[in-house]
Amino acid sequence: MIEKALKGGRGYWAWIALLLTCIGIGVSAYARQLTLGLGVTGMGRDISWGVYIAQFTFLVGVAASAVMVVLPYYLHNQKAFSKMVIVGEFLAVSAALMCMLFILADMGRPDRVVNVLRYPSPHSMVFWDVMVLNGYLLLNLIGGWAALGAERRSVPTAPWVRPLVFLSIPWAFSIHTVTAFLFAGLPGRHLWLTAVLAPRFLASAFAAGTAILILLSFILRKVARFDVGQEARNKLSVLAAYAGIANFFFLGTEFFTAFYSNVPAHKHSLQYLYFGLEGHAPLVPFMWFSLVVGILSVAMLVIPSLRHRNGTLAAACSGLVLSIWIDKGVGLVIGGFVPTPLEAVVDYLPTLNELSVTLGIWAIGLLVLTVLLKSVVAVRAQA
Amino acid sequence: MNNRIQAMYALLIAVAMFVAAWFFMQSVHGGPSSARAAVAARAAAPVAIDSTRCVASAEWMKSHHMQLLNKWRHDSVREGNRTHVTSDGRHFDKSLNTCLGCHASNPMFCFMCHEYANVKPTCWNCHVSPMEATK
Amino acid sequence: MNQQRRDFLRKAGLGAIAGLGAAAGMFPLFALEKTDLSGFSEKPMPGKVRWGMLIDTRKCREGCTECIARCHHDHNVPDFGKTKNEVKWIWKSGYEEAFPTASRQFQQPEVKERKVLTLCNHCAEAPCTRACPTEATFRRWDGIVSMDYHRCIGCRFCMAACPYGSRSFNWQDPRPAVKELTTAYPTRERGVVEKCNFCAERLVKGQLPACVDSCPERALLFGDLNDPNSGLRRALDENETMQRKPELGTLPSLFYII
Repeated sequence: MIEKALKGGRGYWAWIALLLTCIGIGVSAYARQLTLGLGVTGMGRDISWGVYIAQFTFLVGVAASAVMVVLPYYLHNQKAFSKMVIVGEFLAVSAALMCMLFILADMGRPDRVVNVLRYPSPHSMVFWDVMVLNGYLLLNLIGGWAALGAERRSVPTAPWVRPLVFLSIPWAFSIHTVTAFLFAGLPGRHLWLTAVLAPRFLASAFAAGTAILILLSFILRKVARFDVGQEARNKLSVLAAYAGIANFFFLGTEFFTAFYSNVPAHKHSLQYLYFGLEGHAPLVPFMWFSLVVGILSVAMLVIPSLRHRNGTLAAACSGLVLSIWIDKGVGLVIGGFVPTPLEAVVDYLPTLNELSVTLGIWAIGLLVLTVLLKSVVAVRAQA
Repeated sequence: MNNRIQAMYALLIAVAMFVAAWFFMQSVHGGPSSARAAVAARAAAPVAIDSTRCVASAEWMKSHHMQLLNKWRHDSVREGNRTHVTSDGRHFDKSLNTCLGCHASNPMFCFMCHEYANVKPTCWNCHVSPMEATK
Repeated sequence: MNQQRRDFLRKAGLGAIAGLGAAAGMFPLFALEKTDLSGFSEKPMPGKVRWGMLIDTRKCREGCTECIARCHHDHNVPDFGKTKNEVKWIWKSGYEEAFPTASRQFQQPEVKERKVLTLCNHCAEAPCTRACPTEATFRRWDGIVSMDYHRCIGCRFCMAACPYGSRSFNWQDPRPAVKELTTAYPTRERGVVEKCNFCAERLVKGQLPACVDSCPERALLFGDLNDPNSGLRRALDENETMQRKPELGTLPSLFYII
């Protein structure tokens, strides 16, 4: 079926060419990083994770959100999602792939990556993350691909696919829970050391992920004349609205606990992110932008008349994705390192090299998504 | 209904995996393992040190020195078992310095052969080679 | 040589077999210690010894960096200055930075301004070894939290996990930044994490850690925390001591007299 991705119009090939150019930039930047070391990034002794791990965290959420269409379709027989399911599964595949690439890009010795499997260390959360991410990618790839193949031959999906799809449902929750545990189990990093981190990760994932699915459905309708149906979009927008509310509720509880208890260590990171600490406030405008845009977007999704209009729906979804990307893909990881264990306030600025690698990995993910969805569209058009 | 049953099974399997994982974690972490307990099992009566002969035959060393070094490194760094006893009962400290104690007399000792065989070991990325040491 | 020191040397010499093999002293570049065959009968029993240190900040002289210079020289620690790529094993921090959760209300100004020596705490419940996905960092039989540079994948999870900022990553090739190469100890490679090893390479030869050995004020006391009669334990009995961030439950092996 992959051969279907080789036929396309001028717009399609222009898009592929753009992605390949970005991948080229990313690969050359990565080659530089490999030769000179991770010193070419903005990371350092104090802020030892940056854009890469932040993107990874955000994308695990995007991958997990496939469950928002798989669960209602397979468990609750919501036929409205029949066309949406495979889009969700393939989005999960590309997002999980990007996650792994971001981890690889962040490693000081990527040549030793197999050590994680050679010396399995169950006490380490990274070990579990590698396990569940790989498993999730395979589950979704196999499930989606088998369903699409069956559709092309106009036969019912093979019976062994369903258990795999069912397994992928709890698995989706597990990948983001384990990702939260990567952070939430570290003593001395108070922004992360909170039991509400995993629920908050899931809420923000389901908000941003479903919003991305809605946006994808608009794009598919526009560029490929492939419509998943208004009903699917409406249902997803309700899910995104409630997940968004849950996300901001959890964020609010973080603020309450930190500032009402008045424990300095609990307040410091939030102060750094939202108000500035000891004169350092590089992220303050971004965090407030994220907060305001996010709450406005959720409000738009909650009001039925706005939710049902395509223009406002697309705007609200874009706003929600942007808001959560800033909150989770920038603030959470960097804010967790400030102040440092020795109470220093250190700023982090990603370098051009680092951003180029990030661009390249996003382009690889988008390329994989494009090819997979192109196959879907071609199979559906033929049917 | 069939769906529900399948879903329940999937959920059960997932929960079971996580429970198993938890117990696995509990058992593996937490203090030195019994494997580490078995360090330095080889105790021997004091013998005279013979530095005129290598720990093994030149023939064997030519083909196996990398495995020997890797084993020594693992034993001394991770297990604390630093004593190597040869088949004829001689004792050596499991350390690269033991090798270099003799072989550094020819700073080119490692390089000549590696050069000839066109192999590029990464040892000297960190360890100070006899060539650098003589500088 | 006082009794304490003799005790220490006996223990270190027993637990470890000092310089076996050949050619001791024949090649000064790779000088090996004289063989101590008494060590053959001693196995390193896990948990028998737990090395620890007591730092008397009252004795530590202001402006003195003897221990830092000696440690960084002996271990080929690269000098990148105070940049983001900085690598350090032992350094001086302000009192409030080292003990951020200690009370600072009406604290004596002299104490507030005091510099405190900080290094790896060699925790009994080390968060870094728990976080490491390959067991490249692990707790040894003698309580030292050790690094296996041959196994580290450079994920920097240990750095995020360490609540003391004791770990450094090699953001670039460290070799060119080593000012004076010591032949007795390796350097590291770019892409791996490094930190204080409590001078495991000296303990094996029956020597005290370089920082303890080099301190002109004798402000550092090293010994076995598991031996109730060790000099270290006696000093801990006699003095009021502090630890860094004890509320995290990491059980550091370093103690401070303020």
